[in-house]
This record gives sequence, structure tokens and C-alpha cells, in this order.
Amino acid sequence: MGIVLVVVGSWIVVKLGPAGEAQFRATAKAPGSVVVASEVLNSMDVPVRVTATRRDGGAVRLAVAPSPDARAILASSAAATVRAVHYPAGTMDLRASGAGALADSSTADVWRLVDEGAGSAALVVDQGRGPETAVVTSGDATALTDLTLTLVWANRAWFFEALLLATIGAVIAVFAFSDLWQGRTIAVLGAGAETTTPDVRT
Amino acid sequence: MTRDGMSLRLLAIATCAVMVTSVTGCAAGEALLGIHEAPTAKADAAPLTVDQAKRILTRSFTAARVAETTSGAAGKAALRTAYTGEGLRGAVARVRLASVRPAATSSPLLVPRPKLLAVSRGFGFPRFIVAQTQASEGGVPILHLLTSPDAATPYRISASVEMVPPAQVDPFDPPGKGSPLVTGGAGLAVAPAKLLSLYAARMAFPVREVPKPPFAADSFSAQVRAGAAGVAKAVTSQAVFTQTHKVLPGSVYAVRQVAGDALVFGVIERTDTFALKKGQSVNTASNKAFALLTGKKKVTRAASLTTLEFVVLAVPRSKGQATLVAATEQIVAGSGS
Repeated sequence: MGIVLVVVGSWIVVKLGPAGEAQFRATAKAPGSVVVASEVLNSMDVPVRVTATRRDGGAVRLAVAPSPDARAILASSAAATVRAVHYPAGTMDLRASGAGALADSSTADVWRLVDEGAGSAALVVDQGRGPETAVVTSGDATALTDLTLTLVWANRAWFFEALLLATIGAVIAVFAFSDLWQGRTIAVLGAGAETTTPDVRT
Repeated sequence: MTRDGMSLRLLAIATCAVMVTSVTGCAAGEALLGIHEAPTAKADAAPLTVDQAKRILTRSFTAARVAETTSGAAGKAALRTAYTGEGLRGAVARVRLASVRPAATSSPLLVPRPKLLAVSRGFGFPRFIVAQTQASEGGVPILHLLTSPDAATPYRISASVEMVPPAQVDPFDPPGKGSPLVTGGAGLAVAPAKLLSLYAARMAFPVREVPKPPFAADSFSAQVRAGAAGVAKAVTSQAVFTQTHKVLPGSVYAVRQVAGDALVFGVIERTDTFALKKGQSVNTASNKAFALLTGKKKVTRAASLTTLEFVVLAVPRSKGQATLVAATEQIVAGSGS
């Protein structure tokens, strides 16, 4: 148990780093918009930095809206949706759905946050107004393919909590080894005493 | 124990250790980050933030000002950006008739910094924003209703209505909380749709009595009725004059206020019809709006003018009469033969 906690705690400490950043990354190859559902976007109580980067350097539009509105906009168009994240592996599950291109939604007023850029776009999504959904679309006429999505949550307290976990594990392990060692010594001494008993004569 | 048996045992222990560490690592990692289920959508939340609503107002009123001051394709595009529905119909006509209207009545929207009064509550559609503007040099305040029919369509101005002194607007819930749209008549002295229907019927000419009207007498409807009677009298030797008022479908929006009352926006289409008597011919050149809308300077059989009446009424929550808060009219079409 102690060793497991040491290993797990140390692993998380290394993954988080001193800034306490939990980072997840996935690449969507299929054409269509890329969506971060509220199950992921609002799964932690700290702001999340969403970064979308196109490999071909084309324009990217990243926007966040209340989930019911985002669903209405997306309708049945082709989309790859991030439904779950895995930590400390840092991976995300992408699920493809729908067909056809998404109609231009840039004039809609449902978007609370919007960022557009050449090659990449990024937003910091604060919590408290969920459920919200992030939608990445092509910012120009070209189809959006081969897009890398990165989600980063940062909380320095996580680093220290992981450090504490590893430390507690180390203490438990030390006590456990000490206990085992002492038990083994007593057992060895006891076995030695038993073997010398026949030599004692009265 | 044999050497092979020992190796198998060590392999099993290592596999178990890796599995336990992985499972524990994932569980501990997700617990440490506090990963939880997403919150559910609240039906009583405002779908817009206050900043979003203010940005929408700024965009719409900027486009409205451009539309009022720019001609050609840019002006038309600005009109379509700023207005929708009957608001667009009225604005297009106002711009078209600007040359034959007094300057003072042509641009009630050239006022910066609209005041946000209310935004809709919940994620249903249609959604609305209620705002107010007032010219810095005085003049009556103007109430504006902006609507969005679906998620993909932006908010645009549906109605801009001049307040009738000394009317005031009772407070709404804070924009951050949102105000409910009243769809029926529950909790109100009269259902909004029925109120507007009776209000429209009361203005008809020839006069049609409405017993026990659920609204108090007001200066706007009195002027309309008096105007109709005056026109009928003036043309009696040449034509038979009638005037109808019809509430336009989809134009009624009722917004619940803090005290439980409701502010009701509606658009009534007024049709003035002149049926010329046999052998009569009327020179309409002096009516510049009619001439501009129809291209006719003389009619011999019939003529009609269509006017939109934008009205806002305050409806009490339990009993009592509704009162007129704002009213504006705009000629939008005409025909003659």
C-alpha cells in the first residue's frame, strides 16, 4: 500500500509539475467540428485553458456556449466530441458523430466566449456558468481536419497534495518495512532459540 | 520450489503490482483533481451574461444608426443587421419615407448607450432583450424589444416604441437572473393576446364598442379614433372610409416583472381604406407619403394605407385594467387604383 502510494504520488507529482497543471491532448483527424462536451469542460472546479491548433495553419474559431444552445447549433453535423479525460495518462476520448458540414454560426449570439486565429485559437473557460460546450470550427472556407486539442487545468494545490500523497506512502512503507524487518528478526531469533533448547541440560 | 515456478510467481506479483498501481493511480489522480459530473442546465438561468446582452445592444443600435444615416446597399445591409420582423418592416418604411417626413421624427434611435432593462430567462426560444434609450437633450424615452427566434439567429430589434408620458416601466428581475416570458394569461388580469386583440378591436372605424374593456382609456387610441372620424368626415362626399386594426401573429411578447405584473409588446396593423364613390377622382399628390409608396398622384376607385402600430401595455398581476406605456405608428405601405 505504502509503495503503491509512493509510486502513484510521485507519478502525479512529475505529471503535474510545480505549477500543478493537468494537461490532456487529443488529435482529431476526421473532417468536421471538434467539440468539448460539458462532461469534460465543467468536470473540474478550476478554469480550463482550451487550445485548438490546426496542422495546416488555417484559420481556427473556438467558441463556448451553453450546452443546450451548442447542441442546437451543431444539430446533426459531423463532429468529434471529447466525452472523457483520463488522468494521469493525459488522454481524451474522442467520439465521432453526425454527417455534413456545420452551417455558419459565427453570427449567432449564443457564444459567451470566442477566439479566432490563424493556425490556433485559445480560450480560458471559467467555471460556474455550466453546463457549457466548446466548439472548434474552421475559421475559413477550408475543412477542419487534423486538429490538436489541448485542455489544461491548473491548480498549484494539486502538486502539493500529490507530494503529500507520496510522502504519506513513503512513511507507511517505512513503517511497514520496519515492522516486517522486526518481525523477521524476532522470528529468526525465536527459531534460533528453539534449535538451542535440546542442548540445555538440567 | 523450482526455478520456473519462482519466475512465474515473480511475474504474477509484478503484474499485480503494475495493475494495482495503474488502477490506484487513475483513481487517485482523478480524485486528486476533483473530477466530477457536469452540472445540469438550470431552467431558471439567463442564457446571456450582462456583458453579452450589452454587446448585442451596442451592435444592434450601431447598425440602426448606420441604417438611418447611410443610403444604398450599406444602409440596407445595416437595416437587416439591426432589425427583424415588423421592426424591419417599419424601419425600411421609415428610411424610405425619410425625405417626406419632418427631420425631428426620422431618427428616434440616434441615441448612444441604451439601458439594458431585461433579458429572457431559460433556454427556450424565442428569447428577448428589453432596453430603453432616451435622447440626452430630452424627449420621450423609447422602449426597444430585441428578439432571437432560435440559437443560430442573432438578436435584432423587433420594436422601438416611444413611451407615452407620464407612463413608467416597473422593474424587471436583474438581467443576470433573467425575466420569464409569459406565454398564457396565468397570474395576470388579462391574457396578453386577448388584451391586444380587444385593444385593436376598440380602435376600429366605424366604431365598435368593446364592453368592459380590460384596458384604461389612453391618448394614443383616442387620437387614432378621433383621426379616423375626422378623415371619414372630410372625405364623406368623395369616398367611404373604413379603418381596421389587426394584431399581427407572432408579434406579442409579454415579459414578467418583479412584482408579478407583465409588460406586453405587440404590433397592430392598421388599414385605412377609401372606397371612392362613383365618378369621383382624388388628387393624392399632396399626400407625399402615399405618392412615394404607391407612385400614384390620382386615384379614381380605391386607395388604402397600411400603418404599423407598435404598442406596449402594462398588465397588472391579478385585477385592474392594463395601461398604455408606449405607442408609435409607422406607415409602411399603400395602394391605389
